[in-house]
Amino acid sequence: MKEPTVLPTYQAKDFKSDLKPIWCPGCGDFGVVQAIYRALAAIGRAPHDIAFVSGIGCSSRIPGYTTAYGFNSVHGRALPIAQGIKLANPDLLVLVAGGDGDGFSIGGGHVPHAIRRNLDLTYIVMDNQIYGLTKGQLSPTSPKGLHTVTSGLGSLEEPVNPLLYTLAYGAGFVAQGTPADMAGLAEIIEEAIRFPGFAFVNVQSPCVTFGEDDQQVKAHRAAMKPLKSIGHDQTSRIAAMDLAQQYGQSLHTGVFYRNPAPAPTYDAQVRERQQAMAEKAVPRERILDMFVQK
Amino acid sequence: MAQTRERPKPVLHPDFCKGCGRCIESCPKHCIEAGTEIDGATGLIPVQLRLDSCNGCSLCLEACPEPYGLDHESPEPRSSEPPHIPGTENLVAIAAKRRVAETIPDVRVPMPALRPLVVKGTYASAIGALLAGCRHFFGYPITPSTDGAELMAKLLPELEGHFVQAVSEVATINHMYGTGGAGLRCMTFTSSPGFSLMLEGLSYMIGAEIPGVVVDVMRAGPGLGNIGPEQGDIKIACRGPGHGTTQTLVYAPATPQEMLDLTMLAFDKAFEYRNPVLVACDGYLGQITGRVDLPSYMVKPGLPDWAVWGDAAHRPNLHTSILLNEADQEAHNVKLLAKYAQMIDREQRADLYETDDADVLIVAANTPARTAKGAVAVLRKQGIKAGLFRPITLWPFPIRALAPVLPRMKAVVVVEASNGQLEDELRLALSHADLHAPPPITNVRHYGGIMPQMNEIVACARAAHEATPSRRTRETEAEAAARVLS
Ligand SMILES: Cc1ncc(C[n+]2csc(CCOP(=O)(O)OP(=O)(O)O)c2C)c(N)n1
Ligand code: SF4
Ligand code: SF4
Ligand code: SF4
Repeated sequence: MKEPTVLPTYQAKDFKSDLKPIWCPGCGDFGVVQAIYRALAAIGRAPHDIAFVSGIGCSSRIPGYTTAYGFNSVHGRALPIAQGIKLANPDLLVLVAGGDGDGFSIGGGHVPHAIRRNLDLTYIVMDNQIYGLTKGQLSPTSPKGLHTVTSGLGSLEEPVNPLLYTLAYGAGFVAQGTPADMAGLAEIIEEAIRFPGFAFVNVQSPCVTFGEDDQQVKAHRAAMKPLKSIGHDQTSRIAAMDLAQQYGQSLHTGVFYRNPAPAPTYDAQVRERQQAMAEKAVPRERILDMFVQK
Repeated sequence: MAQTRERPKPVLHPDFCKGCGRCIESCPKHCIEAGTEIDGATGLIPVQLRLDSCNGCSLCLEACPEPYGLDHESPEPRSSEPPHIPGTENLVAIAAKRRVAETIPDVRVPMPALRPLVVKGTYASAIGALLAGCRHFFGYPITPSTDGAELMAKLLPELEGHFVQAVSEVATINHMYGTGGAGLRCMTFTSSPGFSLMLEGLSYMIGAEIPGVVVDVMRAGPGLGNIGPEQGDIKIACRGPGHGTTQTLVYAPATPQEMLDLTMLAFDKAFEYRNPVLVACDGYLGQITGRVDLPSYMVKPGLPDWAVWGDAAHRPNLHTSILLNEADQEAHNVKLLAKYAQMIDREQRADLYETDDADVLIVAANTPARTAKGAVAVLRKQGIKAGLFRPITLWPFPIRALAPVLPRMKAVVVVEASNGQLEDELRLALSHADLHAPPPITNVRHYGGIMPQMNEIVACARAAHEATPSRRTRETEAEAAARVLS
């Protein structure tokens, strides 16, 4: 008889690496990594079962501060790389993270396609409305009129609305959090990871060095409106899109949309197809037969 | 007896068939087969008709989505004139009575004598661009090039110019394709990872003969590397800015003064040759400040006749790098190659320092050339007659200036912040010039953001000097040099 396997339990500290973050003191990303530690402890998968992929930016340093397998990869390309990893090893829990510039400017073209391919990925964007690593240029989520080193007279462009975009692209899970409410953020990330399919979490993560005053943790704490408190129906994409239009004006936190009947993921469909074809499949040692005309 | 009326059979116009195969499926008699030959005019593979069992049902004509793919057999042979396409009357009429676009020449506007500036390399380059009449800047932030972009962001709005922070380097280079195609002067600042992303667009610009200036402030790689200085893009700049038959002038400034001068020159050359021009500097040069004398003129750009411009005269101008017919594409390549040959002939630039009596030659560009200059002084104090050869154009490599001094040299020391990419350019240029027995070449190389140090250059040059006892005065090399010069 088989011994019943005792599942090891994990604590937040098990996901913390020895690397000391080099973020500016007070950077919102400190709170995000803490929330990720907590969420991963709650999920209970071993660090070696997790791959954590990011692009390039201050926020993209985050995988290095965890004990998961990390990729601090290419600016704007975290999503395609994560898809490669997930397809290579579908059993891995794959987290993707990065900045708003990484995700919605240079990498913006990958977002709709990652969503419609619907691999089981969790994408966390640390949205600080500015380019942190390159020292304070305009970002795609910068509000119109923002004065930066590349927009001295104020930006002329409308910002991207990450919540509305991802909802419109068809994401099955869309949420927003802030490190001003760490417990809430950890819960949201945990739920996003548990969601089967592509899940998007926009984190309002303040840049203390180049960000605006009203975009700091203290201001967030005063401004945030948890969706739970306003009785939002998270099963309705339309209701979510309605609320998402207030991005940039109101700081709603919580789950905007969670598809009550999640569509099958790409990886699940691939597995299903592979299983269905397994009986007919040519044995590997006879693979060349496929190319030899009978 | 039933009378069978002969119905006309279909004929195929291969130059209008796109090979979609819809007719194949529609034919009840299986008269139509997929083709195997590429049509020279379209680059597509038209179907083939075998009409032995054709009954003229016309189903294939109905299936064909192309208005002129299939036709009824007609007694007169089809003329080679393209068929009249309804809706294009206007364009034809415009083309017929169009005014021919004329080039509006650039004007050099004299500048009053101004006090010299003390600015960093990227600023000097940005100022050079503004003085050259560049009023369109596109760029994506990347250290250590962003300072230059930020200065442009500050100054351009005051000069009725445009600064656009692009969403990526891919977008940047294509914005430049557009503005350059409209006949205006535009530029970007970038650094190595961003430069990699621009290669595709550069190839298209070169193919379509569109000018533009890219200043690449090279940083350490491969991959993200770090923001330390390197010269690791020499290879992609000189050996192929993008796929295909591509080449651009590549300037290698060594001082903030040259950052200004060469950026200004780059704009003139970009329009002279209708080709992008690269200014490749290292991250160190981008940051250091130096005295910069302002030129005696600035440029008020004109408008070339080929520009895509919003008037009837420019209406026929079309920019494209697509030539489906292989023979046309080859002819276009031959034309580009002739242009490159002209650049090789006319555009080589170099700076020779203390080479008249030298017998050890140091070859270096960008910041390493400045360090090497210091090394030359130290070596001379130690009794070694060293000289410096500094390519100002990395492509074309200034072999013509090098060839005459080479026979006097006992040794050559190539100093660079890369894995031998400059040395490769040197060796290739020697080979193309049939200088097959140069003096022994040694090198000082660093990478990863570390620059060659003066003491290393001195030590390497000393060792090279001591290792080669006698002066090489080989007849053949002098002859070869003469040949290159002629
Ligand atoms: C191809 C390429 N272009 C530019 C850069 C420079 N770069 C690094 S991070 C970054 C943007 C940073 O902003 P964001 O993604 O919002 O992250 P943050 O630093 O604010 O967390 C840029 C432009 C790069 N690394 N690679
Ligand atoms: S620059 Fe801004 S985003 Fe980057 S570490 Fe500092 S506070 Fe955080
Ligand atoms: S006319 Fe009818 S029979 Fe003849 S080729 Fe066309 S489809 Fe076939
Ligand atoms: S349907 Fe027309 S375009 Fe398509 S293959 Fe036939 S002839 Fe060519």
